[in-house]
Amino acid sequence: MVSDPTLLTIREASTLIAKRKLSPVELTKACIARTEALDASLSTYVAFTPELALEAAEAAEVEIGTSGPRGPMHGIPVGLKDIYDTAGVATTGHSNLLKRRVPTEDAFTVTKLRASGAVITGKLGTFEFAIGGPSFDLFTPPARNPWDPARTTGGSSSGSGAAVAAGMVLGATGSDTGGSIRSPSSLCGLAGIKPTYGLLSRRGILPLSQSLDHAGPMCWTVEDAALMLQAMAGHDPLDPACADVAVPDFTEKLDETVKGKTIGVIRHFHETDHQAAPPVLAAIEQAIAVYKSLGCVIKEVRLPPLMDFAAVGLIIMSSEAFAIHQADLRATPELYGEIARDRISMGGLLTGADYVQALRRRQELCAAVAEAMIGVDVLLTAGSPFPAQAIDKVPKWLMYQKPSITMPFNVTGLPALALCAGYEAGTGLPVAIQLAGHPFAETTVFQLGHAYEQATQWRVTRPALLAA
Amino acid sequence: MSETISTEAFQVLLDRAGISVSPANMEEMRSAYMMLQAMRERVRQPRGYDAEPAHIFAPAGR
Repeated sequence: MVSDPTLLTIREASTLIAKRKLSPVELTKACIARTEALDASLSTYVAFTPELALEAAEAAEVEIGTSGPRGPMHGIPVGLKDIYDTAGVATTGHSNLLKRRVPTEDAFTVTKLRASGAVITGKLGTFEFAIGGPSFDLFTPPARNPWDPARTTGGSSSGSGAAVAAGMVLGATGSDTGGSIRSPSSLCGLAGIKPTYGLLSRRGILPLSQSLDHAGPMCWTVEDAALMLQAMAGHDPLDPACADVAVPDFTEKLDETVKGKTIGVIRHFHETDHQAAPPVLAAIEQAIAVYKSLGCVIKEVRLPPLMDFAAVGLIIMSSEAFAIHQADLRATPELYGEIARDRISMGGLLTGADYVQALRRRQELCAAVAEAMIGVDVLLTAGSPFPAQAIDKVPKWLMYQKPSITMPFNVTGLPALALCAGYEAGTGLPVAIQLAGHPFAETTVFQLGHAYEQATQWRVTRPALLAA
Repeated sequence: MSETISTEAFQVLLDRAGISVSPANMEEMRSAYMMLQAMRERVRQPRGYDAEPAHIFAPAGR
């Protein structure tokens, strides 16, 4: 008998399920109970579907009982960011504009998750259209951070961050156009990966910016993120940006030594270009010390200024987002929340030449990063420059004021993992590091992230609200 | 910070884009636009005729 199955990792739960020591129905019921207890204070879901989840869990239990699990995700409760299409269940982008939109097909990655046997629990809140938030003028309020409900989760995958940290699900999908998986993963104390551009299909996911959008998983541990990514990956010939590459076993190197791996620390990103808060800087130095103790080689890497990546990313994102939304923004601006409406509208003030210049600079930045990564296995910087802010004091134009520390890996398309690197003294809020690897080298990124988690104790601590 | 833009000139840009901004948000949007201007200037560096946009794939072996 497991005392609280919601606190299990995916690996632990799937091992128990395979041994018939944990039932998918028992696990799903525990996640439902946790949600019913906490969702009123955390505003995590926009559409919670416990009946559908229990149906799926019961089917999983029968199948596992007769023929064993399909794989490690079979019977595992996961939530979906409400920009992932779900057949028969509304997918709104957390926007009044699409409040009654019910897709007829699942997103490709949702189809893959269902095929893995994952139990879908519902649709999780998001910054509106993955750009506007935290917003208090939408049809449900913004998700709150389980480590301190007065704080933001970060975004845009806000409900996903809150739900996993609160033990409502064992994993959740996110999307990342400028940091929307890695920001909430950092602020909610999770492991979240934005994989290489093209590794996961974007089909059936509401777009924000087609050339920067990435899908990906958010989980409690790096190993779980690898397991969930495995279930989501696979070539989709109907997504023109989806790469037809062999999908490796993302867990295959997890237990290999990292001795001799080279970590390139991008000090100027977090020390000067966007100076991180003292606890984040301290966590980065501690992480470097951990990697040294594991036998890694540490070297400093210098890239173009962070603001160059941020400017390129913001101009491309704003232009593409405006192109997607301009007809609705002109016809029914009142159906957008203020933050999404104003942020997307800025793209209408850019010119075609601005967009092309940003694409030309993007090419130069990609080349510069590729050159800097010769002889380096992963790059290391902050996952977020600061712990979670008060939810009602998040600056609306933060990305304009300070360069985003996650955007460089959207611009370059490189895989980037945010993982918990400790807690701020006094507040107990999580702080995070970020590891970025070579294209399609997720296995190495996971290997180094997992080695760090195994060498530290950060995964033992859960939000105090769970004890209550 | 980039050069300032007058309220009238900013309104022309909004009109051309077909965007309506409430009077309460106008100054805030104009301030944000000036920060965006600084970013535009940052990516408008001189480049040669051979500077390709990022969606052009490098030929194999290059």
